[in-house]
Amino acid sequence: MLGRITYMELRTGWKGLLIFGILILVISAGIVQIFPFYRDSLTEQLEGANKVNLALPNEQGGNITLFWEPLENATSYMVMEDTRVSMVTAKIAYAGAETSITFEKDFEEKRYYAVMAVINETSDPVLIGIATTEKGEDPFKELLKNPAYSGFTGGRSVSMLEVKGFMTFEFFGFWWVVAGLFIAYLSVSVIASDFENKRMDVMLSAPISRRRYLLEKFGAMSIIALLTTLIAIAGLAGGLASINALNEISAEAIFLSLMSGLPFLMVITAVGMLTAVLFQKVRTGMGVTFAFVFTEFFLYTFGGFSKSLEWMKTISIFKYWDYSSVIIDDLFKSGDFVILTVLAIVLVVICIWIFEKKDIPT
Amino acid sequence: MVQEKVIVIENLTKMYGNHVGVKDLDLSVNKGEIMGFLGPNGAGKTTTIRTCLALIAKTAGEITIFGLDSHKDAVAIRKKIGYLPGDFGLIPSVKVKSYLKYLLSLRECNSTKKMVSLAERLELDLDRKTHELSKGNKLKVGIVQALMADQELIIMDEPSGLDPLVQQEFYRILREEKKHGKTVFISSHNLAEVESVCDRVAIIRKGQLVVVEDIRVLREKTGKVLEVEFSDPVNIAELKLEGVSEIHQDNGRFILTVHENLDGVIGAVSNHRILNMTLKSYSLEQLFLKYYAEAENQKRGGK
Repeated sequence: MLGRITYMELRTGWKGLLIFGILILVISAGIVQIFPFYRDSLTEQLEGANKVNLALPNEQGGNITLFWEPLENATSYMVMEDTRVSMVTAKIAYAGAETSITFEKDFEEKRYYAVMAVINETSDPVLIGIATTEKGEDPFKELLKNPAYSGFTGGRSVSMLEVKGFMTFEFFGFWWVVAGLFIAYLSVSVIASDFENKRMDVMLSAPISRRRYLLEKFGAMSIIALLTTLIAIAGLAGGLASINALNEISAEAIFLSLMSGLPFLMVITAVGMLTAVLFQKVRTGMGVTFAFVFTEFFLYTFGGFSKSLEWMKTISIFKYWDYSSVIIDDLFKSGDFVILTVLAIVLVVICIWIFEKKDIPT
Repeated sequence: MVQEKVIVIENLTKMYGNHVGVKDLDLSVNKGEIMGFLGPNGAGKTTTIRTCLALIAKTAGEITIFGLDSHKDAVAIRKKIGYLPGDFGLIPSVKVKSYLKYLLSLRECNSTKKMVSLAERLELDLDRKTHELSKGNKLKVGIVQALMADQELIIMDEPSGLDPLVQQEFYRILREEKKHGKTVFISSHNLAEVESVCDRVAIIRKGQLVVVEDIRVLREKTGKVLEVEFSDPVNIAELKLEGVSEIHQDNGRFILTVHENLDGVIGAVSNHRILNMTLKSYSLEQLFLKYYAEAENQKRGGK
């Protein structure tokens, strides 16, 4: 009877699926609840940006004046200087009790100045704000252009003050880890555990071809991936509705952004099944599949670090699941959807081809 | 009368890299018989069986089952086969009944009647959870699933480990299956275990077939081994009776190979006070020695 293996897979695994389903629902609905608090604290921080001002000279070689609002109960101030907004290579430019400093502009490049207040000797300094020598630039916005972050947005600059930006980082930034690794684990174990628990002999002594066996398992995984996606959609939509944020992002965009990840999950499924067929062990298969997912992620992230590394992105499956395109640009990339779907199908075909040739171990 | 053959294996070779699984094996199983497939562990029994079911690919040779190619027509063949693997795995945490029903549905069979009656006869509780089962009960599940869909050919790989009473019931079931025209191919590493149920046995060793013999002929050829221990000293000459081919003395214990006249021998033995007495079949190793010696003699005689 067609679909029996699919049905049995869902039936025997329903408890685990239910727990995972609840977890997804809680995460997706819960994470957006944090947004209002996050927005308020970020707004406070951004206001701090105006607390530090920088007056540039009119002609070459003039003096720069940096001044800031004094902080109550501050004993002294510290100014850090760096050519990067991240301040990772900052040097101390000033330390003292003044609330303004003047110095000669004897450089051409863009520099950043972070001002910190020292409250007392024992506690860490408090950041008052950051200013830049580049006119009209907001250092806080620039922080978001850091390649490590832009990996999540496909290079778009989004504001974390909007729910769209928040979702991109805080939800989608780890959704692939939760869903991707869960699907990877399941897709390996639905097949490899049949090998490990010695069920393969009895399964394949029934009038079932190996192709049908694999396709039914893939069918079960497709249903699980779809359910996972639908639960996340419901959770996100519900969560956003509860904080009255559905006017900022449409339900359709939520639906499409997660749905565009379905073929992404199917590719992971196909890779998981392939490793299960190749190695016939849950642990080995899972290790290899997890390594695949992380490698793809790093390829995509590193590809964004420099133009010359861009090629890395094109061979990463993460490039073809552009959720931010749907969320930020309102554009569903059907081409990418097709590419990932075709890739999943090709991998399943390869998987069947290998499985039909392999000896079933005792 | 030409026997209709259900399984025909010709020149089967299966290599695992450099290791020989089975080499140039020729074997056929007739319709309606119970064929025993004997050999020590690692002799190639499981390899042969699993090649028949296309679970592993063959290196060379041909296997036809019901006149169909074992690999090309594997799915069609499996519709007619009930199989108990040597290592039978269960889905954990489901009821035995659910698992069996699942396997029934994979075999495109809807009737649970036979499943229920088999479980009853083998004293298997269908409402138990699979992970709670003992080794013997797991084997019962395996036996039930191999027989429940009423298939024409039943292949069983070493169904041993049942309680003696259940084992007897199991053999009764196999004989009934035979009566209904089913063919049974059953492997074992213990001759005594299957000789009461088999019509013929094939003996395999180190991947090669040693002999295929009718069970009655085998019994006549090998005889029985009678071990007897007396309380008083007995002269060995007294035991040189009709039908006894060999006698070994081991302290007070006598080991007799008896081919015929078993009642006469026992009668003679019982003239003395007996401390202990056992009647056994030949062990496989003894059988091999016998058949090898025979083959060697024939070779020498031929030269």
